[in-house]
Amino acid sequence: MSKIIEFKNVIKEYKSGDHILKAMDDVNFTIDEGEFVVILGPSGAGKSTLLNLLGGLDSVTSGQIIVNGNHVESFNDNQLTEYRAKNVGFIFQFYNLIPNLTAIENVELMKDIVDVDIDGLSVLDSVGLKNHANQFPSQLSGGEQQRVSIARAVAKQPTMLLCDEPTGALDSKTGVLILNLLQDMSNNKNTTVVIVTHNAILAEAADKVIRIKNGQIESTVVNENPKKVTDLEW
Amino acid sequence: MSLSKKMLREIKINRTQFIAIFLMAFIGIFAYSGIYAEYYGLEQTSNEFYAQTNLADGWVYNTDFDESTFDKISDFTTDVDRQAVIQSVADMENQPDITLHFIEKGTISKFYTTEGKKFNASDASGVWLDTRFAEARNLHVGDTIKLEFNNQTIKKEIKGLGYSPEYVFETSPSSLTPDFSTMGFAYLSARAYPEDIEYDTLLVKYNISDKQFREKLDDSIDYLSFTKQNDHLSVSKFADEMAQHKMIGDVFPIVFILVTFLTLLTTMTRIVSHQRTQIGILKAVGFKDKTIILHYISYGFWPVIAGAVLGLITGPMIIPQMFYPTMTVSYSMPSWNPGFDMSFVYIAISLVVLSVLVTYLSCRRISKENPANTMRPKAPDVSSKGMLERSRFWKHLNFNIRWNIRDAKSNKFRALMTIVGVMGCVALLIAAFGMNDSLEELKSWEYDDISHYESKLLLSSEANPLELYYILNETDGSFIMQQSIEIKANDEEDTVTLLATNNTDLISYTDSNMNPIEIEEGDVSISQKLADRFGLAIGDKVKWHIVGNDKWVTSKIDQIHAEPIQQGLIMSPDTLEDEGLNFTPTNILTKEKFGENYDSIKSTTTIRKMEESWDQMTSAVMMMVYVVTIVAGALAIIVLYNLGILSFTEMEREIATLKVLGFRTNVLRKLLLTQNVIFTAIGYVLGLPLGLYFMTLMMNAAGNSLYYIPSLTWGNILLTAVITFSISIGVNLMFSDKINDLNMVEALKDVD
Repeated sequence: MSKIIEFKNVIKEYKSGDHILKAMDDVNFTIDEGEFVVILGPSGAGKSTLLNLLGGLDSVTSGQIIVNGNHVESFNDNQLTEYRAKNVGFIFQFYNLIPNLTAIENVELMKDIVDVDIDGLSVLDSVGLKNHANQFPSQLSGGEQQRVSIARAVAKQPTMLLCDEPTGALDSKTGVLILNLLQDMSNNKNTTVVIVTHNAILAEAADKVIRIKNGQIESTVVNENPKKVTDLEW
Repeated sequence: MSLSKKMLREIKINRTQFIAIFLMAFIGIFAYSGIYAEYYGLEQTSNEFYAQTNLADGWVYNTDFDESTFDKISDFTTDVDRQAVIQSVADMENQPDITLHFIEKGTISKFYTTEGKKFNASDASGVWLDTRFAEARNLHVGDTIKLEFNNQTIKKEIKGLGYSPEYVFETSPSSLTPDFSTMGFAYLSARAYPEDIEYDTLLVKYNISDKQFREKLDDSIDYLSFTKQNDHLSVSKFADEMAQHKMIGDVFPIVFILVTFLTLLTTMTRIVSHQRTQIGILKAVGFKDKTIILHYISYGFWPVIAGAVLGLITGPMIIPQMFYPTMTVSYSMPSWNPGFDMSFVYIAISLVVLSVLVTYLSCRRISKENPANTMRPKAPDVSSKGMLERSRFWKHLNFNIRWNIRDAKSNKFRALMTIVGVMGCVALLIAAFGMNDSLEELKSWEYDDISHYESKLLLSSEANPLELYYILNETDGSFIMQQSIEIKANDEEDTVTLLATNNTDLISYTDSNMNPIEIEEGDVSISQKLADRFGLAIGDKVKWHIVGNDKWVTSKIDQIHAEPIQQGLIMSPDTLEDEGLNFTPTNILTKEKFGENYDSIKSTTTIRKMEESWDQMTSAVMMMVYVVTIVAGALAIIVLYNLGILSFTEMEREIATLKVLGFRTNVLRKLLLTQNVIFTAIGYVLGLPLGLYFMTLMMNAAGNSLYYIPSLTWGNILLTAVITFSISIGVNLMFSDKINDLNMVEALKDVD
């Protein structure tokens, strides 16, 4: 398996007045192609910052982020936009769908961004929502909305899926379905999936578990025999 | 593709907001282009009419112009035509006065035929008649008309009906406004004159200045008097009317458009800010900034361009048509068309450009932030505690006041815009009401404070002195002489009115505070407006002469009086005669109702009739006042409604939180109402002086004959307050109704 993501001495500081907050303090790790990675840590540890940096939503103070051999930290705004469009599929805790577009329109919206022919219906079918294609986000349950958001993310066939607490707003049963879907994406389609969560149970299903605390890496563990998400004890 | 679907759906969901933007653009452009189109229409239609008919640049009068003077004057003119202008009486019921023009060539001040054959200066068999008179008397082409003058009678066939550029305004001997059944004019060929014709009027066209022409005229020929185009009664009356419209047209549309600009600016900025998280999402999934900005620009583009185009089309179509019918009561022109000016289009375009620009800037500002931030709602501005909040006093204020002060502090721009919007509308209303009050004031000044007579008798030019003195005694009346004079001072000159009268209790003189003053026997008094225009003070000298008499007189000014509608000089008959001029009475004033018929009395008018014609004369301006009031009210509703939607959207979560905490709906309603009332009150207080300023601006531009004293009644100040606060509170109630419907769970979810 080849290395696809690498963080090298990444530091991220937020300044507000005289106060400096170190959200990332010398972070180093690598992720291989197709890996199902879980990033664990308590609230405020810097998980979301890590994901935002990786996804090109925010920029580092110093250090390097290498994705597919490209130095993301050196990208300008246009290059970042291009990077997000081609490489990154985001899945947010609160789904962040466009409220005024139907499920299928939210998915097919991606046609405007990437040169991939998207069959919105078949993508929705792959997340089990074929029958809800023409409903608006407000007409769908939380789990369904999150599945639309996954469909939207995978539709453009990105290098990686970045998921920020994807089950945070869902009940556990629905959460399992979503995580199972993500694991399948990793196992069957060789998509790299990075999930940020504070739910430690998920660690047993991951190929790699990165624990983070106070903006620093506490440990990086590779699981030789990850369990199926559906086999975990919730 | 999907993005344009997103826009359409958003417009549909937020349709009230978008309709408000559309209406704002519409009303702004509608009022601006409509009011201007009315004024430009008058200007363009009259100029076109004057050009088509080749209106004379000047009129030279004498008893008879022979061939040699005609030749001499040809040297410094581009065209000359001769006429004999004679007063006649038509042989019909009530003996209407018809002014006959016997034309030699017919190349200047041409008759504009609308019906029948074109005017032909060599056709001696026919007469071309004033169409307004013909309408009033039910005369048609082909009828014959008998006209009596100088003890002879001519009988002619009516060959055509139409208009003349010299009769856009026709004088009426008995009232300020014309009565078309009692007077008219007719054009005939010089050959139709029954005996040897004596041309008493020269119509001239020249391409030198009026002054140069006048000098050359003085050097080369003998004549009685000269009138330049601007001083011609019809031309100057119409120009005065246009000046009245212009004074309104110059102030109101600009205020309308400014209020529209400001409100649009706020609204577009806010709409984009509300889309903040969505901009973040679009960025996060990889949309280019350009695509996102283009998408949002269309929000600012479509509703504004739709409103602007609709306003641009309907404004000039509708507003002028509200005025022109009242205009035709006093004025005669073959057509009344709204004017159009490219400035309407430029203003409409700049409104669209501004909206797009504001949208672009606020969208760019948001998209420049990194998307990780943008997806979060914007943190409220950190507001430091002000003096008030640190004071001991603060703790004692109730929650309502504290909340509102905090809210206004953290939304300064919205607060400011609400105040400015209210201010603009209050200023418009005050200016409109002020126009109304000032016109009323002017009317009561003239007809209550100055004039104390009941009837004004116009003396016939062939009046019998014995009969006149008999009437004077019978009615206990008083002679006055009212004459047009040409006056010169400090390099300025103008045609104004001379009033010669003995001190009588039938006429009072007033100063500019409308307080009575005395004009001493032997004193010459000049009206305030004229003195101001010419820069004259007591002790200065003026040169003047009676129109039709070339004897120039120099008088020292002893007194200044103020007169609302008639500018000029006042002196006693003795003073006039001391200057070597004859006192020839033109009118008798009396306190009695005069109803008898005497040969020496041409016509009689009463104060009531004069007030009526004053009302008619000012009807166009009053119409403008109504239009402005209504449009200002409509604009106020839309501006406040629009800002209301914005603030409600912004406060929704906060209000939901308060509701969750257990605040009763009534308390929350009061919360919103308090803010609205305070902003409206501030806007009202600031709008008052602004409106008064607009009012004086308008009145300073009101032409040369009317002397306005800006006035505003307490009633109207109160009415403005009532209108403004009702709109403000009414709009607010519509929103506070939404508090009941507010879904707390909906409003509070998604909180990060």
